[in-house]
Amino acid sequence: MKYKKIKRSIAWLALPGVGFLSLVFVVPLLALLATSLIGPDNHFTLSGYVSFFSDKFNFGVLSNTLKIATWVTLICLLIGYCVAFAMASASPLIQAIMFLIFIIPLSVGVVVKAFAWTILLRSNGLVNRILISMGIADEPLKLLFTESGLIIGAVHVFLPFMVLPIFAVVRQLDHRLAEAASTLGANPVRTFVKITLPLTLPGVVAGCSFVFSMTLSMYVIPSLLIGDRYQTLPGLIARAYLFMRDRQNGSVMAVLLLSMAIAAVVLSALITRQLQRSQKTLASSV
Amino acid sequence: MSTLVLRNVGKRYSTHQVIDGLNLEIHSGEFVSLLGPSGCGKTTLLRIIAGLTQCDDGEVLLDGNDITDLAPHKRGVGVVFQNYALFPHLNVYENIAFGLKAKRLDAEAIDAEVKQALLSVQMSQFSDRSVAGLSGGQQQRIAVARALATKPKLILLDEPLSALDRKLREAMQIELKHLLRDAGMTAVFVTHDQEEALVMSDRIAVMNKGIIEQLDLPERVYARPKTAFVLNFVGLSAQWHGSICSQGLDLMTIKLGEASIDCPTQVGMSVGSPVLIGVRPERIRVQAVMDELESPIDSLVDIAPDRKINKIRMTVRELVFRGSNTLCYLDSALAGEVPIIVELSANTTYTPQVGEGVDLVWAVRDTLIFSLDPVACNS
Repeated sequence: MKYKKIKRSIAWLALPGVGFLSLVFVVPLLALLATSLIGPDNHFTLSGYVSFFSDKFNFGVLSNTLKIATWVTLICLLIGYCVAFAMASASPLIQAIMFLIFIIPLSVGVVVKAFAWTILLRSNGLVNRILISMGIADEPLKLLFTESGLIIGAVHVFLPFMVLPIFAVVRQLDHRLAEAASTLGANPVRTFVKITLPLTLPGVVAGCSFVFSMTLSMYVIPSLLIGDRYQTLPGLIARAYLFMRDRQNGSVMAVLLLSMAIAAVVLSALITRQLQRSQKTLASSV
Repeated sequence: MSTLVLRNVGKRYSTHQVIDGLNLEIHSGEFVSLLGPSGCGKTTLLRIIAGLTQCDDGEVLLDGNDITDLAPHKRGVGVVFQNYALFPHLNVYENIAFGLKAKRLDAEAIDAEVKQALLSVQMSQFSDRSVAGLSGGQQQRIAVARALATKPKLILLDEPLSALDRKLREAMQIELKHLLRDAGMTAVFVTHDQEEALVMSDRIAVMNKGIIEQLDLPERVYARPKTAFVLNFVGLSAQWHGSICSQGLDLMTIKLGEASIDCPTQVGMSVGSPVLIGVRPERIRVQAVMDELESPIDSLVDIAPDRKINKIRMTVRELVFRGSNTLCYLDSALAGEVPIIVELSANTTYTPQVGEGVDLVWAVRDTLIFSLDPVACNS
């Protein structure tokens, strides 16, 4: 009874945040949704969506966007999962250093990082020179303005958003669970698949939803690393607004992009809740 | 039925020698406790046996096979962890089935084994519960059932009862002991609780600073401690520091200031060397001070050594009532840093008062003596 009262009184503290967010997010997004549904003649119409889905070019753009986001998420997951484990088992000093390595670049703007990659990735850039001097490549690889170059740059920018949520979960993981599994006769692969992976899944889901939704909506990185010839949805939106001055078309694509990102986040939230329901809290059994 | 042999096992962490050339032999079906203070290396030793920690020197043999370098999942050594280490994302049934699935048994066999394991710990009705919803005692049962279900050659228990409250712990001690005995399981039990070790073990290995000070039956560890450490760690004792002033064939006399104590002669001790004298509290009788003339026993000169008694006069400082008995704290110029504590049993007719002088009387054969001579200690 008393607890409920306190809870209610604390809920008021959310008001400024809720007010601010509804002002700068909800209202513009509603406006965006409205714009996408209003034709040039100021009447309600679905023509924007119809024309978007009737253009085959747009499907190519959608698939490019999803392909890049999926690849970046997968590569980030592969690297980030290992790094998070290394970080969790490192000594406090090494852990602090690794933490800084992932936190400090977040303070550098995406434009700067993307531009840096254009220098590193060009045919006489550092990456190619290293590859050639190591004998891995005989001639400069074309990295800049290719999907590979874009994926390399995006993985670098978004990796912290994969590492940190996984690290947060791995750090709390009781290493005795894996030891218990091994004393019960499970080999290392079985222990990982049946114990470690399921218990770290909440971190994986969170990291993936971060990276996937951010990669879906990235604009600066593709425009610097791959250019106009390879279109992704955010690029197309910018073009519709800035060059074509077609607000309805731009809004339609923005709504679609937003829906995909929301779908990713909602899906991951549902998965996490399902996982938590099945295992209650990790900490309560320790 | 298994035997575990540890030969000259050693483990260092940087410069700290955690386990120091340790030898141990455990017979098939035996319940052996590793008893020692925290930091004595008992948990490290357990991890070495389980294969979770690599030892630097020596070898571990199970049923005569060298398993020193074998991975834990190939050893067939079950472990019950201190915090139970139940898998939080699996329910009770799945936790127990985990080890059986790893052994690639077919589904029917797994089901039968899990049900049998649950039955043996009386947890059948909890089969599909989440482990997080179980109480400490229930989690403990599941952890034991999970380890036993895989039918290990040896089961290791790392302070599995320390998280339980006193009443439950005492009940679980007996239950666990019976469970393991019925399964014919060879067990190594790590604990810092001497009472637990005395209650549960067939034999106790008292550990200190990476070595085993004494490996013996519980009664002998208590009644005949081999070293001063064992005397101190297991049970209470009244203790005095003194030096040997004369040594006969059967008896030695130890000088404590003005008083003296007789004790059975021990080899390897010489006149003048410093010693520690210990007597278990329940061996000491507290009696009212009597004059020498009234005391009948002391006046007899030729008395058999095993019937001789020691007698020391002290002052009662404090009486502590503990329900089943009363502890009597005593003060004297003879006492060292450790206060002298004796037990007054409930059925004694004589109850001393605080501040009163009393005589402590005990049989000479109950006097425990330990050399404090550094040379003798090392030999």
